[in-house]
Amino acid sequence: MQVVDLKVHYPIRGGFFNSVIDWVYAVDGIDMEFEQGKTYGLVGESGCGKSTTGKALIGLEKITSGKILFEGEDVTKDRKSRTSHFHREVQMIFQDSHSSLNPRKRIADILAEPIRNFLHLPPREEMKKIDELLEIVGMPADSKEKYPHEFSGGQKQRINIARALATNPKLIIADEPVSALDLSVQAQVLNFMKDVQKEFGLTYLFISHDLGVVKHMCDYIYIMYKGRFVECGTKEDIYENPKHLYTKRLLSSIPASTPVGREKRKSARQAFEKVYEKHIHKAFDENGRVYDLIPLSDTHYVSASSKKEIV
Amino acid sequence: MDLLAVRNLHVGFRINDAFYDAVDGVSFTLKNNEILAIVGESGCGKSTLATSIIGLHHGRNVRVTGEILYGERNLLELSEEEMDHIRGAEIAMIFQDPLSALNPLMRIGDQIEEALTYHTELSKVEREERVLQLLKQVGIHRPEQTARQFPHQLSGGMRQRVMIAIAISCKPKIIIADEPTTALDVTIQAQILDLLKELQKETGAGIILITHDLGVVAEMADRVMVMYAGEIIEEAPVQKLFSNPRHPYTRLLFHSMPQLHSTKKRLHVIEGIVPSLINLPRSGCRFSHRIPWIPKEAHEEQPKFHKISKDHFVKCTCWKYFRFRDEKGEAD
Repeated sequence: MQVVDLKVHYPIRGGFFNSVIDWVYAVDGIDMEFEQGKTYGLVGESGCGKSTTGKALIGLEKITSGKILFEGEDVTKDRKSRTSHFHREVQMIFQDSHSSLNPRKRIADILAEPIRNFLHLPPREEMKKIDELLEIVGMPADSKEKYPHEFSGGQKQRINIARALATNPKLIIADEPVSALDLSVQAQVLNFMKDVQKEFGLTYLFISHDLGVVKHMCDYIYIMYKGRFVECGTKEDIYENPKHLYTKRLLSSIPASTPVGREKRKSARQAFEKVYEKHIHKAFDENGRVYDLIPLSDTHYVSASSKKEIV
Repeated sequence: MDLLAVRNLHVGFRINDAFYDAVDGVSFTLKNNEILAIVGESGCGKSTLATSIIGLHHGRNVRVTGEILYGERNLLELSEEEMDHIRGAEIAMIFQDPLSALNPLMRIGDQIEEALTYHTELSKVEREERVLQLLKQVGIHRPEQTARQFPHQLSGGMRQRVMIAIAISCKPKIIIADEPTTALDVTIQAQILDLLKELQKETGAGIILITHDLGVVAEMADRVMVMYAGEIIEEAPVQKLFSNPRHPYTRLLFHSMPQLHSTKKRLHVIEGIVPSLINLPRSGCRFSHRIPWIPKEAHEEQPKFHKISKDHFVKCTCWKYFRFRDEKGEAD
């Protein structure tokens, strides 16, 4: 899958006749590329446009301009129609496992929905498929007859994954799939996502603000800031050789997993914060837009006004 | 002298005409100038413990027994009116979600002033001055402007700063922070935690920090208590707990954390789930069914809180026999 110069702008209406008076540039010109079987991370603080990007890719959000290519075909328009091929191949997992399951439907019906929409199997095979799905996600077969509220958070998230897997997709967009879960359950779901990936050769787009989880899961990482990418690169590029000021700030604010040396970390963090405030304006051009990406190596791209600016 | 001493606290909720203890026999102390972290998964009773300290449980459907000693007084025996003078003035609380804890119809300045009106003798002018001073203290750059705004006009980090301003407005001796940064971004989280720590240094208050995030604990706490299924299962100074965790649950918890500096392919998973309040085993080691490969004899019948070194306490004896189990189900 390829994303070319994707833009999502929201109009702000007001004044006479509710005319459009301004725009919110939620996503402002991003390019992405996904290869089969890899995991891609999309990281940024809340409000930077990372969820909007995810939703725009799958067709839950109107695209202002830009193109989405899937296996060489332009699917930008296709995303809207419910029965398109695209929807079979691209699925989504949401953050809140509870509110994304219909409380009045049994698990069997929840899992059957994508099968009925896309696969059109006879009832007996449909049941068989549901049993298979439950087995893949490691849930007992009797959970078919239960309702979503009878499960714990981790189990519900696994049902969500099962539903996403129902149509044998190639790409799964996971929007903060584990941020609402406890540490031990989070480990369960993450391990499990890795297992199914290996089994089915899935590609993930993993949207998260948790840099620890992203490092564990992802091969290639995009850092997003104010609707644009400020840096992207392989896991090693980002974590061992961050170039953009914003990336460095994100990395410096992750709490460490040991109390040793925390005073030193704190003063380093605060010193860095001063540097950040002083220099962050350099990351924008005169229109307040983050600069375009400049390649540093084959994989590593950083936004800057010119190559000289990168330190 | 301890600032706060909790002794054998039980908080039970009525379910189908029987009481089930969500907090089951918890005892601990809090000293001046100390940050005590309480760590645990959702449903372990850590928030119930916090809300019982500031007396937010009453009515027929809750039963609170034990002692919460603040100075000479047992908070559980005070009348509602006496409690009103302590709550907010001497013991303050910071909640997880600042948007739902702030009144959406009141200006920020008025909300901070409310506490001052109730608990202090300051005049209107003095109060307004103090509000601006508090906003400045929590790192808000334009206090005059912010004081006139409503909660929805502020960002999440700003709102949490306002919550902290309200909490410290009457110079409380104890601040209870219930997941103060869970709803915030990492960059903002670091700022808020640094702020809390600085304020504590200035005021000398004791802080009870409730969280599920071990990273936050590592950055903040002096002493840590780990809670599981309503009980405290391990207590130690922060350095000791991170370098030498003893209870199987604590060790497994550390093991399941994605590490920034490790390249481990798989995360460790704790088997099973936290039992619900009704199904909680009331005798024996509560963690035993999640480590089934450890023989039954390793657990005590009535687990006690053992002192294993000067300031390190562990519940039950199973920690002595505990080993991790690898993927194939064999102990390593």
